[in-house]
Amino acid sequence: MTSLRDQIIALIAALRAQRVRISVAESIDAMRAVAAAGFGRDSMREALAAALVKDEADRPAFDEAFMRFFAAPPSGPIRGAHPKHRGQLDSAAGGRGRPGEHPSQTTTPRGKPQPERAGTKSAPRDQHARGDSGGRERTDEETRPRGGDVQSQESSAQAPPAENHGAAEIGIEAGRAARIRTIERTPFAAYTELEYEQARDALAILKRRFRARLGRRLKIAAAGRIDFRRTIRAATQHGGVLTDLRFRARRPRHIDLTILADISGSVRYAAELMLELIAGARENFHRVRSFVYIDRLAEAGFEGRHLITETALDPFGRSDFGRVLGEAWDRRAELFGRQTVVVILGDGRNNRRPARADLLREIARHCRAVLWLNPEDPARWGTGDSAIAQYTKEVRAHVAAGNLRELERGLLEVA
Amino acid sequence: MDITEDFVAKGLARAQYITNQRVTTAVFLALALEKPVLIEGPAGAGKTEVAKAIAAMLPTELVRLQCYEGLDEARALYEWNYQKQLLRMQADEAQGARWQDLSEHIFSHEYLLERPLLKAITSPRRVVLLIDEIDKADEEFEAFLLEMLSDFQVSIPELGTMRAHERPVVVLTSNRAREISEALRRRCLHLFIDFPGIEQERKIIALKVPDLDERLAAEAARFVAAVRKLGLRKPPSIAETLDWCRALVRLEIKELDSDAIRTALGVLLKYEDDRARVESKASSLAARQP
Repeated sequence: MTSLRDQIIALIAALRAQRVRISVAESIDAMRAVAAAGFGRDSMREALAAALVKDEADRPAFDEAFMRFFAAPPSGPIRGAHPKHRGQLDSAAGGRGRPGEHPSQTTTPRGKPQPERAGTKSAPRDQHARGDSGGRERTDEETRPRGGDVQSQESSAQAPPAENHGAAEIGIEAGRAARIRTIERTPFAAYTELEYEQARDALAILKRRFRARLGRRLKIAAAGRIDFRRTIRAATQHGGVLTDLRFRARRPRHIDLTILADISGSVRYAAELMLELIAGARENFHRVRSFVYIDRLAEAGFEGRHLITETALDPFGRSDFGRVLGEAWDRRAELFGRQTVVVILGDGRNNRRPARADLLREIARHCRAVLWLNPEDPARWGTGDSAIAQYTKEVRAHVAAGNLRELERGLLEVA
Repeated sequence: MDITEDFVAKGLARAQYITNQRVTTAVFLALALEKPVLIEGPAGAGKTEVAKAIAAMLPTELVRLQCYEGLDEARALYEWNYQKQLLRMQADEAQGARWQDLSEHIFSHEYLLERPLLKAITSPRRVVLLIDEIDKADEEFEAFLLEMLSDFQVSIPELGTMRAHERPVVVLTSNRAREISEALRRRCLHLFIDFPGIEQERKIIALKVPDLDERLAAEAARFVAAVRKLGLRKPPSIAETLDWCRALVRLEIKELDSDAIRTALGVLLKYEDDRARVESKASSLAARQP
């Protein structure tokens, strides 16, 4: 049975290469599961899935890999991949799922033109994956969006149900979960109108989730000061002994939100998605003021699904956050207060105009907190005309928000 | 008892739980490997039912812990019965008892309130422990649970350590209101239960609402599947589908046309905008039926 064990190990390695996080303990579980469930193909697939796939969105990737490794009866030689696997056939059959094997790397599953750097960037990452056995690599990926992500995510999310011989067809919810996760991890930098539309669709669900998560963070369990009156009343039941302390519920926190979002070309998608996400959680805040800027500031709101600005912005203007800060500072009485959390979204690229970080410091002094979300790849922070280093010093947190997932996580920091 | 996959498949069927290979294998592994199983999936797809079906299959008792925000150890594990202890102390004081005797009394099993987790551990036989909606509980509770699930033992300072005679079958369910920590995921087998396919749902309807005409049952299953694809705010659950089918029986509906769909839609959909959306598409959804 050594060959089967080796095959499972290779399968696990292939899954890890696709950023499915699998611990050593889980691979041991997988072996035990197969030993218990027997070698029937369906039983074995489900046993391995139960032990290895802890997130339904990874399931299509698993099914695809399982197909590749166990196409033939498990004891016999592996006979390559399913013919329908388009261009993946060669590398899959040749590699037989060598650890770190990444068949999708060589092809574009959808035939969609890929950004040039996607191919070049993914190569070193792949080597990195090969050496990594702890499965830690995904955390790394999550914090640092790269071009290479798009490709592999696409291939994992769109294994069509027709190819899952005998497997239960991908259900409605599972398919949806996989789609959402794919788009959540796609870096804004790789967005086209197509991805943007997908993100807008996913947002309907993400908004609900964001509102719930934000609500949880804002609400603090009743554990504040002791409520004397209710404690005494409770004690009368026990002959006046104070066994049961009652607490006064803390007052819910009030947060005024002031948002400044850059909508110049480079970060436009991130800005619009963020404003929509916040709009969905409007009732969690006391007051929300949303502004967008390029070289000037304009108040923004939503009409249906369209972002409307109060005054027209010159779409061909060049970002100038320094000037925008000046305009915001002139309206400080209405925009900034002790309850205000300021959220700034932008890449801090000022086209070499004055950064006015001193104004940001003043704003931070007036407000409860200033949070900076940066959609740019952290590797590029502070390069070229970026003034982000000056701004970072003045804000409470400077968070990477390179994709929807990071954006949501960053926004939760307001609470 | 010898547990085989076949035994599980038959047992679930006997418990009137219609399901697929995925669920069967996962349940079998949970029993065979004695590992907790984490069930995720949309609301109303039958996650909680799995635990009930396992309990009916073994057959054994089902101990249920419903999670909610602010759930703590006192509610989940054990608590001393203060009121009763106080009464005891006052009664003994009147008789002039010494503290030594007293403390022996009041920290005994008699004054212990067993909460679900302790109950599952101290039970003399193997029980099914259902930890429902773990995503609703706080992260601290999840961390506490990690410790519990690995050792199945509890230390009560006054009474000593209690260890499970028989490891309970642990089923956790989650609706993903919050991400479950990686640590907990790692320790569990994972099972995702999606809404059933048309054929599976038809079988469920036939089993639970036998009065419904067979042809109508198939149409109802197809209709519900189509409705779920619309991406509603709250897609109909299996229970709601069954209620709806019962309503169809009582309304003596023989044909699932657009009028019939409108009549009883309130049973299936609980939000006004969902309802408006399906109503506007009722004729096309009905027409899709062959």
